[in-house]
Amino acid sequence: MDELEGMHTRRVLEPAAWILQMVSGLLLAALIAIHLYVTHFSTHDALAYENVVERFRDAGFKAIYTLLLLAVTFHAFNGVRAIVLDTDFGAKNRRAVNWLLMLLFVAAFAYGILLMSSV
Amino acid sequence: MSVADWFRVRGRSLQSISFSLHRLTGLVLFIYLLMHLSYLTSLKLGKEVYESLIATTVSPAFLPFDILLLLATIFHGVNGIRVVLNEFGIGYEARKAMLYAAYLITAILWIIASVAMYNFVVGVR
Amino acid sequence: MKVIFNIRRFDGEKDYWQSFAVPVFRGMTLLEGLFYIKENLDGSLAFRASCRMGVCGSCAVKVNGKPVLACETQISSVNSSKLDIEPIDNFRVIKDLVTDFEGFFRKHEAVKPYLIRNDDNYENPVELIQTPKQMKSYYTFSLCIKCGACYSVCPAAATRSDYLGPAAITAAWRFIADSRDEGKEERYEAVCGDNGVWRCHFAAECSEVCPKKVEPAKAVQKMRIRTALHAIKKVIL
Ligand code: FES
Repeated sequence: MDELEGMHTRRVLEPAAWILQMVSGLLLAALIAIHLYVTHFSTHDALAYENVVERFRDAGFKAIYTLLLLAVTFHAFNGVRAIVLDTDFGAKNRRAVNWLLMLLFVAAFAYGILLMSSV
Repeated sequence: MSVADWFRVRGRSLQSISFSLHRLTGLVLFIYLLMHLSYLTSLKLGKEVYESLIATTVSPAFLPFDILLLLATIFHGVNGIRVVLNEFGIGYEARKAMLYAAYLITAILWIIASVAMYNFVVGVR
Repeated sequence: MKVIFNIRRFDGEKDYWQSFAVPVFRGMTLLEGLFYIKENLDGSLAFRASCRMGVCGSCAVKVNGKPVLACETQISSVNSSKLDIEPIDNFRVIKDLVTDFEGFFRKHEAVKPYLIRNDDNYENPVELIQTPKQMKSYYTFSLCIKCGACYSVCPAAATRSDYLGPAAITAAWRFIADSRDEGKEERYEAVCGDNGVWRCHFAAECSEVCPKKVEPAKAVQKMRIRTALHAIKKVIL
Protein backbone atom coordinates (compact mmCIF):
# COMPACT_ATOMS: atom_id res chain seq x y z
CA MET A 1 0.00 0.00 0.00
CA ASP A 2 2.67 2.42 1.08
CA GLU A 3 4.81 1.27 -1.78
CA LEU A 4 1.95 1.62 -4.25
CA GLU A 5 1.14 5.11 -3.16
CA GLY A 6 4.76 6.11 -3.52
CA MET A 7 4.83 4.66 -7.02
CA HIS A 8 1.64 6.47 -7.87
CA THR A 9 2.79 9.92 -6.78
CA ARG A 10 6.09 9.21 -8.48
CA ARG A 11 4.24 8.50 -11.69
CA VAL A 12 1.55 11.18 -11.97
CA LEU A 13 1.98 13.98 -9.47
CA GLU A 14 5.26 15.40 -10.73
CA PRO A 15 4.59 15.36 -14.49
CA ALA A 16 0.97 16.51 -14.07
CA ALA A 17 1.98 19.28 -11.65
CA TRP A 18 4.70 20.44 -14.03
CA ILE A 19 2.39 20.64 -17.04
CA LEU A 20 -0.37 22.34 -15.02
CA GLN A 21 2.15 24.81 -13.63
CA MET A 22 3.10 25.83 -17.16
CA VAL A 23 -0.50 25.96 -18.40
CA SER A 24 -1.80 27.86 -15.36
CA GLY A 25 1.11 30.26 -15.75
CA LEU A 26 0.14 31.10 -19.32
CA LEU A 27 -3.50 31.42 -18.28
CA LEU A 28 -2.57 33.74 -15.43
CA ALA A 29 -0.67 36.08 -17.71
CA ALA A 30 -3.95 36.74 -19.51
CA LEU A 31 -6.29 36.62 -16.52
CA ILE A 32 -4.21 38.90 -14.30
CA ALA A 33 -3.92 41.39 -17.12
CA ILE A 34 -7.74 41.41 -17.30
CA HIS A 35 -8.01 41.61 -13.51
CA LEU A 36 -5.65 44.57 -13.28
CA TYR A 37 -7.37 46.30 -16.16
CA VAL A 38 -10.79 45.91 -14.57
CA THR A 39 -9.80 46.94 -11.06
CA HIS A 40 -7.28 49.69 -11.70
CA PHE A 41 -7.14 50.89 -15.25
CA SER A 42 -10.72 51.00 -16.51
CA THR A 43 -12.69 53.42 -14.31
CA HIS A 44 -11.87 55.26 -11.12
CA ASP A 45 -14.74 53.70 -9.22
CA ALA A 46 -13.86 50.12 -10.04
CA LEU A 47 -13.02 49.37 -6.41
CA ALA A 48 -16.13 50.93 -4.88
CA TYR A 49 -18.03 48.47 -2.72
CA GLU A 50 -21.15 48.44 -4.90
CA ASN A 51 -19.18 47.81 -8.07
CA VAL A 52 -17.22 44.94 -6.54
CA VAL A 53 -20.39 43.29 -5.27
CA GLU A 54 -22.10 43.84 -8.59
CA ARG A 55 -19.22 42.19 -10.45
CA PHE A 56 -19.40 39.23 -8.10
CA ARG A 57 -23.05 38.77 -9.08
CA ASP A 58 -22.43 38.90 -12.81
CA ALA A 59 -22.21 35.42 -14.33
CA GLY A 60 -19.48 36.31 -16.83
CA PHE A 61 -17.27 37.90 -14.19
CA LYS A 62 -17.93 35.02 -11.87
CA ALA A 63 -16.73 32.56 -14.48
CA ILE A 64 -13.55 34.52 -15.19
CA TYR A 65 -12.85 35.10 -11.49
CA THR A 66 -13.38 31.44 -10.66
CA LEU A 67 -10.89 30.49 -13.34
CA LEU A 68 -8.46 33.15 -12.10
CA LEU A 69 -8.83 31.94 -8.53
CA LEU A 70 -8.27 28.33 -9.53
CA ALA A 71 -5.22 29.13 -11.65
CA VAL A 72 -3.64 31.51 -9.16
CA THR A 73 -4.06 29.31 -6.09
CA PHE A 74 -2.74 26.26 -7.92
CA HIS A 75 0.18 28.14 -9.43
CA ALA A 76 1.13 29.74 -6.11
CA PHE A 77 0.94 26.67 -3.89
CA ASN A 78 2.41 24.33 -6.47
CA GLY A 79 5.17 26.86 -7.04
CA VAL A 80 6.00 26.88 -3.36
CA ARG A 81 5.83 23.08 -3.38
CA ALA A 82 8.42 22.99 -6.15
CA ILE A 83 10.63 25.43 -4.26
CA VAL A 84 10.48 23.40 -1.06
CA LEU A 85 11.15 20.18 -2.97
CA ASP A 86 14.28 21.82 -4.37
CA THR A 87 15.81 21.49 -0.93
CA ASP A 88 17.09 18.51 1.04
CA PHE A 89 14.50 19.38 3.68
CA GLY A 90 11.76 18.96 1.09
CA ALA A 91 13.24 15.70 -0.13
CA LYS A 92 13.19 14.28 3.38
CA ASN A 93 9.58 15.32 4.00
CA ARG A 94 8.36 14.84 0.46
CA ARG A 95 5.01 13.32 1.24
CA ALA A 96 4.13 15.83 3.98
CA VAL A 97 5.11 18.72 1.72
CA ASN A 98 2.98 17.38 -1.14
CA TRP A 99 -0.06 16.84 1.03
CA LEU A 100 0.22 20.08 2.97
CA LEU A 101 0.60 22.33 -0.05
CA MET A 102 -2.08 20.60 -2.09
CA LEU A 103 -4.40 20.87 0.91
CA LEU A 104 -3.63 24.57 1.27
CA PHE A 105 -4.35 25.03 -2.42
CA VAL A 106 -7.76 23.42 -2.06
CA ALA A 107 -8.48 25.40 1.12
CA ALA A 108 -7.54 28.72 -0.49
CA PHE A 109 -9.65 27.93 -3.54
CA ALA A 110 -12.64 26.93 -1.42
CA TYR A 111 -12.28 30.07 0.68
CA GLY A 112 -12.30 32.23 -2.43
CA ILE A 113 -15.36 30.51 -3.87
CA LEU A 114 -17.27 30.83 -0.60
CA LEU A 115 -16.38 34.49 -0.37
CA MET A 116 -17.43 35.13 -3.92
CA SER A 117 -20.79 33.43 -3.54
CA SER A 118 -21.61 35.00 -0.16
CA VAL A 119 -21.29 38.68 -1.03
CA MET B 1 24.87 24.64 0.33
CA SER B 2 21.98 26.84 1.27
CA VAL B 3 19.07 28.58 -0.34
CA ALA B 4 21.32 31.62 -0.74
CA ASP B 5 22.82 29.70 -3.67
CA TRP B 6 19.60 30.39 -5.60
CA PHE B 7 20.55 34.04 -5.65
CA ARG B 8 24.23 33.83 -6.61
CA VAL B 9 25.26 36.58 -8.95
CA ARG B 10 29.04 36.51 -9.27
CA GLY B 11 30.23 34.87 -12.46
CA ARG B 12 26.68 34.07 -13.53
CA SER B 13 25.02 34.94 -16.81
CA LEU B 14 21.72 36.79 -17.18
CA GLN B 15 20.02 33.39 -17.57
CA SER B 16 20.77 32.47 -13.95
CA ILE B 17 20.03 35.93 -12.68
CA SER B 18 16.61 35.78 -14.32
CA PHE B 19 15.98 32.50 -12.56
CA SER B 20 16.88 34.15 -9.23
CA LEU B 21 14.60 37.09 -9.90
CA HIS B 22 11.82 34.76 -10.99
CA ARG B 23 12.02 32.83 -7.75
CA LEU B 24 12.24 36.02 -5.70
CA THR B 25 9.27 37.68 -7.39
CA GLY B 26 7.38 34.39 -7.16
CA LEU B 27 7.77 34.37 -3.39
CA VAL B 28 6.82 38.04 -3.16
CA LEU B 29 3.69 37.41 -5.21
CA PHE B 30 2.85 34.36 -3.11
CA ILE B 31 2.89 36.46 0.04
CA TYR B 32 0.90 39.15 -1.71
CA LEU B 33 -1.70 36.59 -2.81
CA LEU B 34 -2.19 35.50 0.80
CA MET B 35 -2.57 39.14 1.86
CA HIS B 36 -4.93 39.85 -1.02
CA LEU B 37 -7.19 36.92 -0.22
CA SER B 38 -7.39 37.72 3.49
CA TYR B 39 -7.97 41.37 2.68
CA LEU B 40 -11.05 40.41 0.69
CA THR B 41 -12.66 39.00 3.82
CA SER B 42 -13.53 42.62 4.56
CA LEU B 43 -16.15 42.42 1.81
CA LYS B 44 -18.14 40.17 4.11
CA LEU B 45 -17.67 42.47 7.09
CA GLY B 46 -19.66 45.17 5.37
CA LYS B 47 -19.29 48.25 3.27
CA GLU B 48 -17.67 50.43 5.97
CA VAL B 49 -14.84 48.02 6.77
CA TYR B 50 -14.14 47.41 3.13
CA GLU B 51 -14.17 51.05 2.14
CA SER B 52 -11.95 52.13 4.98
CA LEU B 53 -9.40 49.49 3.94
CA ILE B 54 -9.59 50.66 0.34
CA ALA B 55 -9.21 54.28 1.45
CA THR B 56 -5.96 53.50 3.27
CA THR B 57 -4.40 51.12 0.74
CA VAL B 58 -5.40 52.87 -2.45
CA SER B 59 -3.61 56.06 -1.51
CA PRO B 60 -0.51 57.98 -2.55
CA ALA B 61 1.32 56.60 0.49
CA PHE B 62 0.96 53.09 -0.89
CA LEU B 63 1.76 54.06 -4.46
CA PRO B 64 5.47 53.07 -4.29
CA PHE B 65 4.49 49.60 -3.07
CA ASP B 66 1.89 49.30 -5.81
CA ILE B 67 4.44 50.20 -8.42
CA LEU B 68 7.00 47.74 -7.07
CA LEU B 69 4.34 45.08 -6.95
CA LEU B 70 3.47 45.85 -10.56
CA LEU B 71 7.11 45.36 -11.45
CA ALA B 72 7.22 42.00 -9.68
CA THR B 73 3.99 40.91 -11.36
CA ILE B 74 4.95 42.02 -14.83
CA PHE B 75 8.45 40.54 -14.57
CA HIS B 76 7.16 37.24 -13.25
CA GLY B 77 4.53 37.13 -15.99
CA VAL B 78 6.69 38.09 -18.95
CA ASN B 79 9.72 36.11 -17.81
CA GLY B 80 7.37 33.25 -16.99
CA ILE B 81 6.06 33.12 -20.55
CA ARG B 82 9.64 32.94 -21.77
CA VAL B 83 10.41 30.11 -19.36
CA VAL B 84 7.26 28.20 -20.32
CA LEU B 85 8.18 28.42 -24.00
CA ASN B 86 11.71 27.26 -23.28
CA GLU B 87 10.56 24.49 -20.97
CA PHE B 88 8.16 23.23 -23.62
CA GLY B 89 11.14 23.06 -25.96
CA ILE B 90 10.31 26.16 -28.01
CA GLY B 91 13.06 28.58 -28.96
CA TYR B 92 16.01 27.04 -27.17
CA GLU B 93 18.39 28.38 -29.81
CA ALA B 94 16.84 31.83 -29.49
CA ARG B 95 16.97 31.83 -25.70
CA LYS B 96 19.30 34.82 -25.42
CA ALA B 97 17.17 36.95 -27.70
CA MET B 98 14.06 35.86 -25.82
CA LEU B 99 15.73 36.84 -22.57
CA TYR B 100 16.55 40.35 -23.75
CA ALA B 101 13.07 40.68 -25.24
CA ALA B 102 11.55 39.68 -21.89
CA TYR B 103 13.42 42.46 -20.09
CA LEU B 104 12.50 44.98 -22.76
CA ILE B 105 8.81 44.05 -22.67
CA THR B 106 8.85 44.10 -18.87
CA ALA B 107 10.28 47.62 -18.87
CA ILE B 108 7.76 48.93 -21.40
CA LEU B 109 4.74 47.35 -19.70
CA TRP B 110 5.95 48.53 -16.31
CA ILE B 111 6.19 52.14 -17.42
CA ILE B 112 2.73 52.05 -19.01
CA ALA B 113 1.17 50.32 -16.00
CA SER B 114 2.87 52.65 -13.55
CA VAL B 115 1.47 55.70 -15.29
CA ALA B 116 -1.99 54.14 -15.28
CA MET B 117 -1.60 53.25 -11.61
CA TYR B 118 -0.50 56.79 -10.79
CA ASN B 119 -3.53 58.19 -12.53
CA PHE B 120 -5.78 55.74 -10.75
CA VAL B 121 -4.47 56.52 -7.27
CA VAL B 122 -3.64 60.19 -7.52
CA GLY B 123 -6.00 61.21 -10.33
CA VAL B 124 -9.43 62.69 -9.78
CA ARG B 125 -11.84 60.36 -8.08
CA MET C 1 54.46 39.90 -16.42
CA LYS C 2 53.07 38.44 -13.26
CA VAL C 3 49.51 37.46 -12.48
CA ILE C 4 48.20 36.94 -8.96
CA PHE C 5 46.64 33.52 -8.36
CA ASN C 6 44.43 33.96 -5.33
CA ILE C 7 43.51 30.43 -4.38
CA ARG C 8 40.87 29.26 -1.91
CA ARG C 9 42.52 26.43 -0.06
CA PHE C 10 41.21 23.78 2.29
CA ASP C 11 43.40 21.51 4.34
CA GLY C 12 40.72 19.20 5.70
CA GLU C 13 39.85 21.52 8.59
CA LYS C 14 40.00 25.12 7.62
CA ASP C 15 39.32 27.26 4.61
CA TYR C 16 41.72 30.06 3.71
CA TRP C 17 42.81 32.19 0.80
CA GLN C 18 46.40 32.24 -0.33
CA SER C 19 47.97 34.39 -3.06
CA PHE C 20 50.77 33.46 -5.42
CA ALA C 21 52.50 35.66 -8.00
CA VAL C 22 52.90 33.62 -11.16
CA PRO C 23 55.06 34.78 -14.07
CA VAL C 24 53.01 34.21 -17.20
CA PHE C 25 53.89 33.90 -20.87
CA ARG C 26 51.78 34.22 -23.97
CA GLY C 27 49.46 31.26 -24.38
CA MET C 28 50.01 29.97 -20.84
CA THR C 29 47.02 28.08 -19.44
CA LEU C 30 45.61 28.21 -15.95
CA LEU C 31 46.70 24.63 -15.43
CA GLU C 32 50.29 25.53 -16.29
CA GLY C 33 50.00 28.31 -13.73
CA LEU C 34 48.82 25.83 -11.09
CA PHE C 35 51.71 23.50 -11.96
CA TYR C 36 54.11 26.43 -11.68
CA ILE C 37 52.89 27.08 -8.13
CA LYS C 38 53.12 23.42 -7.19
CA GLU C 39 56.65 23.09 -8.60
CA ASN C 40 58.13 26.40 -7.49
CA LEU C 41 56.10 28.05 -4.74
CA ASP C 42 54.08 25.58 -2.68
CA GLY C 43 54.27 21.85 -3.26
CA SER C 44 51.28 21.21 -0.98
CA LEU C 45 48.77 22.75 -3.43
CA ALA C 46 46.31 20.08 -4.54
CA PHE C 47 44.44 20.13 -7.84
CA ARG C 48 43.34 17.50 -10.31
CA ALA C 49 44.39 17.19 -13.93
CA SER C 50 45.28 14.47 -16.33
CA CYS C 51 45.03 14.94 -20.08
CA ARG C 52 45.88 18.66 -20.31
CA MET C 53 43.80 18.83 -23.47
CA GLY C 54 40.16 19.17 -22.48
CA VAL C 55 39.28 15.51 -22.79
CA CYS C 56 39.35 13.89 -19.38
CA GLY C 57 37.25 16.40 -17.45
CA SER C 58 39.45 16.36 -14.34
CA CYS C 59 40.49 19.94 -14.08
CA ALA C 60 37.34 22.08 -13.70
CA VAL C 61 37.89 24.95 -11.26
CA LYS C 62 36.07 28.18 -10.57
CA VAL C 63 37.85 31.29 -11.80
CA ASN C 64 36.42 34.65 -10.78
CA GLY C 65 33.11 32.94 -10.05
CA LYS C 66 32.82 30.95 -13.27
CA PRO C 67 33.70 27.28 -13.71
CA VAL C 68 36.20 26.53 -16.50
CA LEU C 69 38.59 23.77 -17.52
CA ALA C 70 41.97 24.88 -16.20
CA CYS C 71 43.79 23.17 -19.07
CA GLU C 72 41.71 24.83 -21.79
CA THR C 73 41.66 28.35 -20.38
CA GLN C 74 44.46 30.72 -21.21
CA ILE C 75 45.36 33.08 -18.41
CA SER C 76 45.25 36.05 -20.77
CA SER C 77 41.69 35.20 -21.80
CA VAL C 78 40.39 35.75 -18.28
CA ASN C 79 41.40 39.37 -18.76
CA SER C 80 42.32 40.14 -15.18
CA SER C 81 45.60 40.53 -13.34
CA LYS C 82 44.18 38.85 -10.27
CA LEU C 83 42.43 35.50 -10.48
CA ASP C 84 40.24 34.17 -7.69
CA ILE C 85 40.53 30.42 -8.05
CA GLU C 86 38.18 28.18 -6.10
CA PRO C 87 37.00 24.59 -6.21
CA ILE C 88 33.73 24.21 -8.15
CA ASP C 89 30.50 24.58 -6.16
CA ASN C 90 27.97 21.88 -5.25
CA PHE C 91 30.71 19.32 -4.67
CA ARG C 92 32.30 18.42 -1.36
CA VAL C 93 35.85 19.75 -1.21
CA ILE C 94 38.47 17.15 -0.30
CA LYS C 95 41.59 19.33 -0.44
CA ASP C 96 42.21 22.71 -2.04
CA LEU C 97 40.81 22.47 -5.58
CA VAL C 98 40.08 18.75 -5.46
CA THR C 99 36.42 17.86 -5.07
CA ASP C 100 34.58 14.60 -4.44
CA PHE C 101 32.92 13.26 -7.62
CA GLU C 102 31.63 10.02 -6.12
CA GLY C 103 27.96 11.08 -5.94
CA PHE C 104 28.16 12.72 -9.36
CA PHE C 105 29.27 9.46 -10.96
CA ARG C 106 26.65 7.44 -9.06
CA LYS C 107 24.00 9.73 -10.55
CA HIS C 108 25.44 9.08 -13.98
CA GLU C 109 25.17 5.37 -13.34
CA ALA C 110 21.54 5.74 -12.28
CA VAL C 111 20.40 6.71 -15.79
CA LYS C 112 22.14 3.67 -17.39
CA PRO C 113 24.46 5.57 -19.72
CA TYR C 114 25.16 2.72 -22.13
CA LEU C 115 23.39 1.16 -25.12
CA ILE C 116 20.67 -1.23 -24.02
CA ARG C 117 19.71 -3.85 -26.60
CA ASN C 118 17.19 -6.64 -26.40
CA ASP C 119 19.17 -8.74 -28.87
CA ASP C 120 22.63 -8.63 -27.31
CA ASN C 121 24.55 -11.50 -28.81
CA TYR C 122 28.24 -11.54 -28.05
CA GLU C 123 28.90 -14.82 -29.89
CA ASN C 124 27.72 -13.52 -33.22
CA PRO C 125 27.96 -9.74 -32.98
CA VAL C 126 26.12 -7.74 -35.62
CA GLU C 127 26.82 -4.25 -36.80
CA LEU C 128 24.25 -1.67 -35.74
CA ILE C 129 23.63 0.53 -38.73
CA GLN C 130 22.86 4.23 -38.34
CA THR C 131 22.43 7.02 -40.87
CA PRO C 132 24.46 10.22 -40.45
CA LYS C 133 21.22 12.01 -39.62
CA GLN C 134 20.41 9.56 -36.86
CA MET C 135 23.87 10.07 -35.43
CA LYS C 136 23.58 13.83 -35.58
CA SER C 137 20.49 13.73 -33.38
CA TYR C 138 22.52 12.79 -30.31
CA TYR C 139 26.11 13.57 -31.28
CA THR C 140 26.48 16.88 -29.38
CA PHE C 141 25.15 15.29 -26.21
CA SER C 142 27.72 12.51 -26.44
CA LEU C 143 30.60 14.98 -26.11
CA CYS C 144 30.23 15.33 -22.33
CA ILE C 145 33.50 14.80 -20.45
CA LYS C 146 31.91 14.71 -16.97
CA CYS C 147 33.85 17.71 -15.68
CA GLY C 148 30.97 18.76 -13.40
CA ALA C 149 30.88 22.41 -14.52
CA CYS C 150 27.14 22.25 -15.28
CA TYR C 151 26.33 20.57 -12.00
CA SER C 152 28.35 23.16 -10.08
CA VAL C 153 26.23 26.09 -11.30
CA CYS C 154 22.83 24.41 -11.11
CA PRO C 155 20.63 26.09 -8.47
CA ALA C 156 18.64 22.91 -7.90
CA ALA C 157 21.78 20.85 -7.39
CA ALA C 158 22.96 23.49 -4.91
CA THR C 159 20.18 22.79 -2.44
CA ARG C 160 19.04 19.27 -3.24
CA SER C 161 21.90 16.82 -2.95
CA ASP C 162 20.10 13.91 -4.62
CA TYR C 163 19.07 15.88 -7.72
CA LEU C 164 20.41 13.92 -10.69
CA GLY C 165 21.67 17.12 -12.27
CA PRO C 166 22.19 18.32 -15.82
CA ALA C 167 25.05 15.97 -16.74
CA ALA C 168 23.28 12.74 -15.80
CA ILE C 169 19.99 13.77 -17.41
CA THR C 170 21.89 14.78 -20.55
CA ALA C 171 23.49 11.33 -20.59
CA ALA C 172 20.01 9.81 -20.37
CA TRP C 173 18.87 11.91 -23.31
CA ARG C 174 22.00 11.05 -25.30
CA PHE C 175 20.93 7.39 -25.25
CA ILE C 176 17.21 7.97 -25.63
CA ALA C 177 17.88 10.01 -28.77
CA ASP C 178 20.07 7.21 -30.14
CA SER C 179 18.22 5.11 -32.75
CA ARG C 180 20.08 1.94 -31.68
CA ASP C 181 18.96 2.11 -28.06
CA GLU C 182 16.13 0.03 -26.65
CA GLY C 183 16.27 1.03 -23.00
CA LYS C 184 14.10 4.14 -23.09
CA GLU C 185 11.56 2.91 -20.60
CA GLU C 186 14.15 2.26 -17.88
CA ARG C 187 15.66 5.70 -18.32
CA TYR C 188 12.33 7.50 -18.16
CA GLU C 189 11.70 5.69 -14.90
CA ALA C 190 15.13 6.70 -13.61
CA VAL C 191 14.58 10.43 -14.17
CA CYS C 192 10.86 10.56 -13.31
CA GLY C 193 11.26 10.73 -9.53
CA ASP C 194 11.08 14.03 -7.69
CA ASN C 195 14.89 14.08 -7.67
CA GLY C 196 14.83 13.91 -11.47
CA VAL C 197 13.86 16.20 -14.34
CA TRP C 198 11.21 18.09 -12.35
CA ARG C 199 13.84 19.94 -10.34
CA CYS C 200 15.04 21.84 -13.38
CA HIS C 201 13.56 25.34 -13.69
CA PHE C 202 15.53 26.41 -16.73
CA ALA C 203 18.10 28.67 -15.11
CA ALA C 204 20.04 27.32 -18.13
CA GLU C 205 23.38 28.27 -16.62
CA CYS C 206 24.58 24.73 -17.39
CA SER C 207 24.54 25.49 -21.10
CA GLU C 208 26.39 28.74 -20.46
CA VAL C 209 29.33 27.15 -18.67
CA CYS C 210 29.67 23.81 -20.46
CA PRO C 211 33.23 23.81 -21.86
CA LYS C 212 32.20 21.29 -24.52
CA LYS C 213 29.01 23.10 -25.63
CA VAL C 214 26.97 19.99 -24.93
CA GLU C 215 23.81 22.07 -24.31
CA PRO C 216 22.66 20.25 -21.17
CA ALA C 217 19.73 22.66 -20.70
CA LYS C 218 18.34 21.59 -24.07
CA ALA C 219 18.73 17.91 -23.25
CA VAL C 220 16.96 18.32 -19.90
CA GLN C 221 13.99 20.11 -21.52
CA LYS C 222 13.65 17.38 -24.16
CA MET C 223 14.01 14.70 -21.55
CA ARG C 224 11.35 16.30 -19.38
CA ILE C 225 8.67 16.57 -22.05
CA ARG C 226 9.25 12.98 -23.07
CA THR C 227 9.20 11.82 -19.47
CA ALA C 228 5.98 13.70 -18.77
CA LEU C 229 4.25 12.25 -21.82
CA HIS C 230 5.57 8.80 -20.98
CA ALA C 231 4.39 9.01 -17.37
CA ILE C 232 0.93 10.30 -18.27
CA LYS C 233 0.49 7.77 -21.04
CA LYS C 234 1.38 5.02 -18.62
CA VAL C 235 -1.28 6.11 -16.15
CA ILE C 236 -4.00 6.48 -18.75
CA LEU C 237 -3.32 3.23 -20.61
S1 FES D 1 43.17 18.05 -17.64
FE1 FES D 1 41.84 16.78 -18.78
S2 FES D 1 40.20 18.15 -19.18
FE2 FES D 1 41.64 19.44 -18.25
